[in-house]
Amino acid sequence: MSEAVSEPAVSRGKTARAALRLLREPLGAFALVLVVGVIAAAVFADVLASADPSKIAPRDRFMAPGMEHLLGTDQLGRDLFSRVLFGGRIALTVALGSTGVSLLIGVALGLVAGYGPRWLDNLLILLFDAIKSFPTVMLALAFVTLFGPSLTAVVVVVVIVNVPGYARIIRTQTIALKSAEFVTAAQSMGAGTARILRVHILPNVIGPILILASMDIPVVIAIEAGMSFLGLGVRPPTPSWGAILNDGFANIRETVWIVFAGGMPIILTTLGFTFLGEALRDIFDPRLKAR
Amino acid sequence: MSQTPQHGLTRRSLLASAGAFGAASTLSPRMAWSQDGKILKIRSYSDIQILDPSFRLSTPEGDIMTAIFAGLANYTNGDEWNWRPVAVETLEQLDDLTIAFKLRDKIGFTDGFGQMTAEDVKFSIERVADPANESPYAGDWDALKEVEVKDTLSGIIHLKNKFVPLWSTTLPTATCCILSKAAVEKEGGKLGTKPVAQSGPYIMTEWTPKQRTILKRNPDWAYEPGGYEEIQIFPIEDPAAAEIGFEAGDLDHTWTAVSSISRLKENPPPGGVMLEKPSLAYVWMGINQDVPPFDNKQIRRAVQHAIDRETVVEAAYFGAASTSTGIIAPGLPGHREAVLYDYDPDKARELLAAEGATDLSVTLDILNQSERLAAAQVIQANLADVGIKCEIKQNDSGTFWTLGAKEGDYWNKLQLIMGRFSMQPDPSWATVWFTPEQIGVWNWERFNSQDFAELHAQGLIESDPVKRDEIYRAMQDLMDESGCYVFLTHEVTGVLHRDTVIPGLKPNGESLLPDFKPA
Repeated sequence: MSEAVSEPAVSRGKTARAALRLLREPLGAFALVLVVGVIAAAVFADVLASADPSKIAPRDRFMAPGMEHLLGTDQLGRDLFSRVLFGGRIALTVALGSTGVSLLIGVALGLVAGYGPRWLDNLLILLFDAIKSFPTVMLALAFVTLFGPSLTAVVVVVVIVNVPGYARIIRTQTIALKSAEFVTAAQSMGAGTARILRVHILPNVIGPILILASMDIPVVIAIEAGMSFLGLGVRPPTPSWGAILNDGFANIRETVWIVFAGGMPIILTTLGFTFLGEALRDIFDPRLKAR
Repeated sequence: MSQTPQHGLTRRSLLASAGAFGAASTLSPRMAWSQDGKILKIRSYSDIQILDPSFRLSTPEGDIMTAIFAGLANYTNGDEWNWRPVAVETLEQLDDLTIAFKLRDKIGFTDGFGQMTAEDVKFSIERVADPANESPYAGDWDALKEVEVKDTLSGIIHLKNKFVPLWSTTLPTATCCILSKAAVEKEGGKLGTKPVAQSGPYIMTEWTPKQRTILKRNPDWAYEPGGYEEIQIFPIEDPAAAEIGFEAGDLDHTWTAVSSISRLKENPPPGGVMLEKPSLAYVWMGINQDVPPFDNKQIRRAVQHAIDRETVVEAAYFGAASTSTGIIAPGLPGHREAVLYDYDPDKARELLAAEGATDLSVTLDILNQSERLAAAQVIQANLADVGIKCEIKQNDSGTFWTLGAKEGDYWNKLQLIMGRFSMQPDPSWATVWFTPEQIGVWNWERFNSQDFAELHAQGLIESDPVKRDEIYRAMQDLMDESGCYVFLTHEVTGVLHRDTVIPGLKPNGESLLPDFKPA
């Protein structure tokens, strides 16, 4: 039992060292600044926004960036800076929310598949493979056709797409640990399945999956933006980076600022989360750093 | 052990290189221009769904049909609404009730269906008029009594009563395309998307759904040939996408977005000529009076008062179009000076409060086009301002044009819809779609007024311009009174064509395909 008691202290020490190493890596520090900046902008959108993101003023359309409108205005005269801030809130809500839910479900299913009976493992693997065989766009189109476009639709599609990946990784690692000495010891001391999974196996398999999840966040942001760009995601008038990009595409010959306003946050956020994930991976698994 | 790849190219450096290449490539966009005077590439705003003149669904279908099925007449190219003979040598009104025709003697049908005869004319016209066939265009031949065949090429069209729109919106339209009786009967009474027995200056040789339609000169056509050997028609719903296609050299002619007209007039693309044509079309927001909460007339009235039409039109068309006062454009009999119920949000809130209508949630169906979406978003904001939550539903054209059809089941869910109908130069062509007989056909608001139907019938036989004007004004007043309509605009038509092309256009900018010529 001392192992379980001492584990959090070890984790705290590791986490602190990892954080310091992250800040010492230029790429990691840059990524952290980007990610924290994007999250802060989304969280404090109400305070930072200079206007109501949905307020329509057609005669102010296509204004170039200036003091009144930091990123200019779109075809309906809406303030793009405010729309980008509130769009970030949508993007991060979808990305963090759906990745979190995917993680929970994926980890749970992966543990069950890896530690449970063979027939259940086979059944779950069949399910994961069946889901993975669907191209994401086709799955999204089918889902939206059946249930209509909405923010919920985006989240559900992302969860369905991501769960099998997480579950498979957790399953593989669980199978590898199932016969480890410390697990056998716990079993012989009378520990139940739930306790073994929660206390002995989960802490040893969760690290890599968290790194993978952080690297999936930009992918999810791109999926949300893509679906909204195609009119399959967030509904008007809710601001979304994909919808802003779509407005920019439709009016590209009038002004380039809308595309810039919709595209830059996607690029910066994607870069931020990707570099952060890579930096974390380099810290936790230095052998992969040179790849 | 080092795992650095031997070639020294890491994934990050590859990504960086690809990014730099991508950025650099945008500095030199592809320039490609049509160089072949033999092939004309034009855009239509919707794809073919049917090639039967009696059941056509859109203007682009009518444009194609008048090119591949010779009709009695067609409109002339230019700025005046006139007609010219096509399949006929002569077409003459003998008196109010009789029109004599004589067919040209060298018009044949493809696929071995022989020469066009007066019997085919009789069949084609009576087929449209026959109520049993349920043609939505039966109204074009509302006054038809019969077609009398005199000999192989000659006949007389007999009317039951005087029919004022005959020469303006019946004879020169796709309604009067002449089909082979034998071919239609062989096809089971209705044509689909594969044309048989073609007879016009062009024949359709290829149709790839959602991609393109190809027309080629009909080698058996013995009269005025079409200006191009081949016409390729590309269905592109979004005019903004079509403008990009034009600038990329993939199109020689397109309608532009109304919102692009000012910009393109000031800065036309190289080799492009921008024209602006007055449009007779009308755009409106319809309210389905058979579906809650709009089965309550006061709530419909509240919506009429809630919509700031000026802002809707300004937002959608960037100031290029004006608000309309009904379905009849300026210059036609029946055009009104104002709507009866205009923007008054306080009145809207008052009406909603009186009806106890709180927390209303409604849907607005629109065609998936940038202009429609812009207009819909202003409507959404206007409705939100009076306490009505509105969800915008975007539809592709195939879905959109079936939403209110009685054959489907969506009509009893349809609440608000933004429609646009094209128009011919007679007010009866606007009002015909809103009669009780059209409920579930084109009357998706399910506006049901016998007074309106009777006035429509009067308008068809009334030749006194003053009385006609009164009739059509009264009809639009009835539409306003019903609460089913928010009239938005007549738009304007922007036409962008290559300077190597002389376009064949009706006065409202609609295409006359055989009249396109190389400059």
